[in-house]
Amino acid sequence: MLRRASHVLLDARDAVVISCGAQSAQAGARRGRGTPALREEGRLAEANVRAVSRALDRFAEWCGLLFCWMIVPLVCAMVYEVIARYAFHAATIWSYDVSYMLYGAHFMLGAAYTLLRGGHIRTDVFYMNWSARTKGVVDASLYLFFFFPGIALFFWMGLQEGLHSLDIWEVSDASPWRPMIWPLKMCIPVSAALLLVQGVSEFLKSAYAAVKGEAL
Amino acid sequence: MSNEYLGLILLGALLAGIFVGFPIAFTLIILSVVFGYIGFGDTVFYLMVFQTIGLMKEETLAAVPLFIFMGHVLEQAGLMERLFKSFQLILAPVRGSLYLGVLLTATLFATATGIIGASVTVMGLMAAPAMIKAGYDPKMSAGAITAGGTLGILIPPSVMLVVMGPVVGVSIIKLFAAAIIPGLILAGLYIGYCMVRSHLDPKLGPPLPRDQWATSVGQVVWEFAAGIVPMATIMFASLGSIIFGLATPTEAAAMGAAGAVLLTLFYGRLSFRAIREAALKTLETSSLVLFLAVASNVYGAVFTRLGTSTMMAETMLALPISPDAMLLLLMALIFVLGWPLEWPAIVFIFLPIFMPVVEGLKIDLVWFCTLVAVNLQTAFLSPPVAMAAYYLKAVAPKWELGQIYRGMAAFMVLQMFGLAIVFFFPQTALWLPTVLFGKT
Repeated sequence: MLRRASHVLLDARDAVVISCGAQSAQAGARRGRGTPALREEGRLAEANVRAVSRALDRFAEWCGLLFCWMIVPLVCAMVYEVIARYAFHAATIWSYDVSYMLYGAHFMLGAAYTLLRGGHIRTDVFYMNWSARTKGVVDASLYLFFFFPGIALFFWMGLQEGLHSLDIWEVSDASPWRPMIWPLKMCIPVSAALLLVQGVSEFLKSAYAAVKGEAL
Repeated sequence: MSNEYLGLILLGALLAGIFVGFPIAFTLIILSVVFGYIGFGDTVFYLMVFQTIGLMKEETLAAVPLFIFMGHVLEQAGLMERLFKSFQLILAPVRGSLYLGVLLTATLFATATGIIGASVTVMGLMAAPAMIKAGYDPKMSAGAITAGGTLGILIPPSVMLVVMGPVVGVSIIKLFAAAIIPGLILAGLYIGYCMVRSHLDPKLGPPLPRDQWATSVGQVVWEFAAGIVPMATIMFASLGSIIFGLATPTEAAAMGAAGAVLLTLFYGRLSFRAIREAALKTLETSSLVLFLAVASNVYGAVFTRLGTSTMMAETMLALPISPDAMLLLLMALIFVLGWPLEWPAIVFIFLPIFMPVVEGLKIDLVWFCTLVAVNLQTAFLSPPVAMAAYYLKAVAPKWELGQIYRGMAAFMVLQMFGLAIVFFFPQTALWLPTVLFGKT
């Protein structure tokens, strides 16, 4: 039942992909009922799914390569603070805010990259013993029913909060420096959006495994 | 149906979701939102964002990526191998020298890494070939590597203790101080066990062949000064500045990370590639821990608001058993949970549920956290679902999984013994914090 559902979904998605792709006219022409044509179409669809998934993966990878560098200013800011305090007896006014902002943005923005790397903790007591197909079915349906609704809501509420914060030009009340806080709040919707994008790739991978019984 | 019972169903649904094997963080978010909405309407949506922002502004947790970065830099630069080589050369004539080398490297390195997987993998990569070549007992070798590697999670600075602080509401510095002696007791137990057994039966761990011995006293001194002292200095400086209140854990973590980079430069191993790899791994590791923290934070808020945690605490406190028995029960629960679940899940999801009970029983929180930390460390070594075994098997394919398990089992017994020591002699955990900061 579930397998059928994901198959339908896969087809629907293919249709979208194909119609967007350069080969859409070709694919349309081949949309016959003949077996070889159908097989050809299947191959084409598969190639498209793979291409989309790969492209999304590359995007997440690229985001990871970008955001991972935030650790460097975090180290530098803290080290400067310690040196300034002990060597120059002049603690900085900004280090506290800078530290939590960089830390907060760092791990949130990295969540999509972690999803790509399969890093988010899962309990694999049972999972590890399942076939690729079962894993695919379970993952695809949970991405659909758990991941997308939850993260989409997270995105929407985060966006509301972020926009409100931007609107009133909210500043931090954590220190006398009082820097603006909305960029940090905006990290929530941005991270959620990145997660959703990478979620599409993960969904494609698991739906493929559910249908084909092997990894994409 | 009252909200308290709704929370119980939420807990049940969560457990089911966890065991299906979907990433726990996402399961937590959707379940909290759905159950929260049923329980108290659209407040839950605001609660979700509010809890997330709250965690993102938790400055003490900035130490998490920094400590992870410190560990990964040292690892990427191959400094663990450097340390191990030094120990190997210095200890070569001793029976069981490689066990000792592994455990000493692990103990020292535990003050740099706060995450278990990393160190078991690296230790396996560098020590397993040497141990196989020297004809060491596979079981005991695997046990020493896995047990040594898991010390990273206990001996401060440990990421687990950093995140436990805000969860339990205890200062991280006190937790660090409390975990030092139990960590050293465990390391001591491992070393004692390996040394005594290899002494009684040299076949288990023969001294290394003559050609691997140091050629002169000078070489030994040089290895010690160049290979061990700089690493040890940086690690103890980082830990020491926290314990003695010179720097906040976040600052000390940053100093440690900067020190790690300098050390890499000192050994001529600094490269753009190494730093980038370390930064990438740091992003992944800290995100997996902290994003789960965010999700659990949302979940915890919903669970508490539904009133379930209060109800559970009251029910458990009303049980006609003594506080000690209750503590034992909690420890048993955590141990069982530690089998299938990884530590962040236990610390973020289940520890907050137990906290009201612990507070109700007036158990010292610092001592309790130390017990939990030692307990969870034990769970890493409990077959058949022990992460450490998989990490090791992946890098040392020559050893059978069965051999690794049996080796780990022996060390697990040692850990249980260590846990018993901390349980029956709370002073092992509480003495150092009391000396440093007064009454806890």
